[in-house]
Amino acid sequence: MSTKEMSSGIFEITERGGKHLATINLVPGASVYGEKLIEIEGCEYRIWNPKRSKLAAMMIKKFNIPIKRDSKVLYLGAASGTTVSHVSDIVSEGIVYAVEFSPRTMRDLIGLCDMRPNIVPILADANKPQSYAHIVEEVDVIFQDVAQPNQSEIAAVNAMQFLKRNGHLLLSIKARSIDTVANPKNVFKNEIRKLEHEFDVGFEILDSRELAPFHEDHLGVMARVLRVRK
Amino acid sequence: MKIITWFGTLTLDDYGKVLEWDLFPKDTSALAEILVQPKKVEIDIPPACFDIRAAAIECGFVGSTEEYNTLLRDVSIRAAKKQISGGTPDMGIIQAVEALDDIDDAANTLSERLAEWYGMYFPEVGLSSEPLARFVAKYGSRSNIPTDGHLYEKATSSMGAELAGPDEELVKGFAENICTLYDSRSRIEDYLVKSMETSAPNLVNIAGALIGARLVSMAGGLEKLARFPSSTIQVIGANRALFKHLRARAPSPKHGIIFNHPQIKNSPWWQRGKIARALAAKISLAVRMDVYSDGGLNESLKTELNAKIESIKAAHPKPPKRESKAGMGKGKGRSQNKQQNKQSNKKAGGRR
Ligand SMILES: C[S@@+](CC[C@H](N)C(=O)[O-])C[C@H]1O[C@@H](n2cnc3c(N)ncnc32)[C@H](O)[C@@H]1O
Repeated sequence: MSTKEMSSGIFEITERGGKHLATINLVPGASVYGEKLIEIEGCEYRIWNPKRSKLAAMMIKKFNIPIKRDSKVLYLGAASGTTVSHVSDIVSEGIVYAVEFSPRTMRDLIGLCDMRPNIVPILADANKPQSYAHIVEEVDVIFQDVAQPNQSEIAAVNAMQFLKRNGHLLLSIKARSIDTVANPKNVFKNEIRKLEHEFDVGFEILDSRELAPFHEDHLGVMARVLRVRK
Repeated sequence: MKIITWFGTLTLDDYGKVLEWDLFPKDTSALAEILVQPKKVEIDIPPACFDIRAAAIECGFVGSTEEYNTLLRDVSIRAAKKQISGGTPDMGIIQAVEALDDIDDAANTLSERLAEWYGMYFPEVGLSSEPLARFVAKYGSRSNIPTDGHLYEKATSSMGAELAGPDEELVKGFAENICTLYDSRSRIEDYLVKSMETSAPNLVNIAGALIGARLVSMAGGLEKLARFPSSTIQVIGANRALFKHLRARAPSPKHGIIFNHPQIKNSPWWQRGKIARALAAKISLAVRMDVYSDGGLNESLKTELNAKIESIKAAHPKPPKRESKAGMGKGKGRSQNKQQNKQSNKKAGGRR
């Protein structure tokens, strides 16, 4: 068994011919959603399945993930915290602001936050950054996975309020939640165009790749904030 | 400018420098309490580039960035717990649906009274319920109808008594009250649509917000609804003893609330049972998605449902003939068909 650090805090574990993505368990002994725990040289890793996480899929698709050990991350669409838990592993000295608007899912997310020292749960609508601007500080990275028709607007308003200059946006775009019938390729093209031209915040697209076969009809996008905000 | 943060209110100068501060008590539970309270409008949110963390340290609220993290985390968890324990949104949905029924009851009774009352003065008005209430609230006596009003002719030639003075005031006020009931009704409906879209987007997509809300309400909550088999979902609301209010609006008391769905209501009677079954099956899947999966809308359910309905319509373009029953009796389809026919016949019989 061997491990290789692919990106800060993100590892590739090779065992018996298979390769897995993994993060170092911030809370050793605890599996969050049934993922496998593997101990290598006194260090416990949590296996990270790209089919269950857009961020893991982006990693496999060779995005240059900008999340570091001490990053501050605003995570929009935290759901029950599957991916959030891995981000929490990665930013062991940073903090994750996890925004989710469904109270039902929030219940599970709180269970996760209770076990981990670096997740701040926020029950709020990501369309309204002003409703959590008194809690969230300027962040290094915004990760967004909300599956909403107005995904790029949500990204723009949040980047405007919270993303530091030269900070990164990681965005998962689900074609079907924007247009159920259109060809996903066209939907993606249009969203990218929107991100590049329609918002005051000024995104520079650094990378965009489809997340298939892990997530069909999903596009991963990484962008940087160019302009200084008003 | 005065801004609010989770730890206190701050006064900033034009460059975002903190001039004055008024800190909240440094107590997890008190801070959480403040966090969940709706914010006052006259206070701003921090400007985009403002460093809340540095400000907290500068004001001496916390001694270090570690302490900032720990405290903020504890407070947020406490606040989030408070927010979700304040009743799940489906509790609100249940109450709203019941309020809707109560309003309908009250509005019906009062509207009937108004119809009878106003009928003394303008029997030819030809309106009832909400339109009548709106009309009376607006004009009062028929003599106030403008010459270009479409009831003007009828009003001038009416054989009703004259309505004026204290009588007019009374009737008009009564109608106005009924109108506020209808206003309140439509606000409740808006609320239902909104909160259903957030807590059960897939159910809304398949059943529509209002029918979905009724299902949730009758099941006693979204999670309970998710545990119902689709055969139960198909007949929810058919129990007229329990849901007497519904009766008036349901097309037939033998059928569940989903028979109000346009896809069923607008289909010929012999297709309805089959469409209801398909719809109930999809509703059941949709609710489970809403409750057990990570959220988001799954459009394929709707696509599948529409395809299924198309195929039902294509396979049964004509009403079944009674004789055909024997001819079709093959395999396991038989008992189902029989039941179906029985139901349909009853229904058809009831209509004659
Ligand atoms: C596809 S799931 C996210 C899955 C999660 N990122 C993971 O990998 O574990 C989308 C989530 O976004 C949430 N969501 C959708 N719209 C939102 C909004 N406007 N504000 C906050 N959360 C939202 C949904 O409730 C759902 O839980």
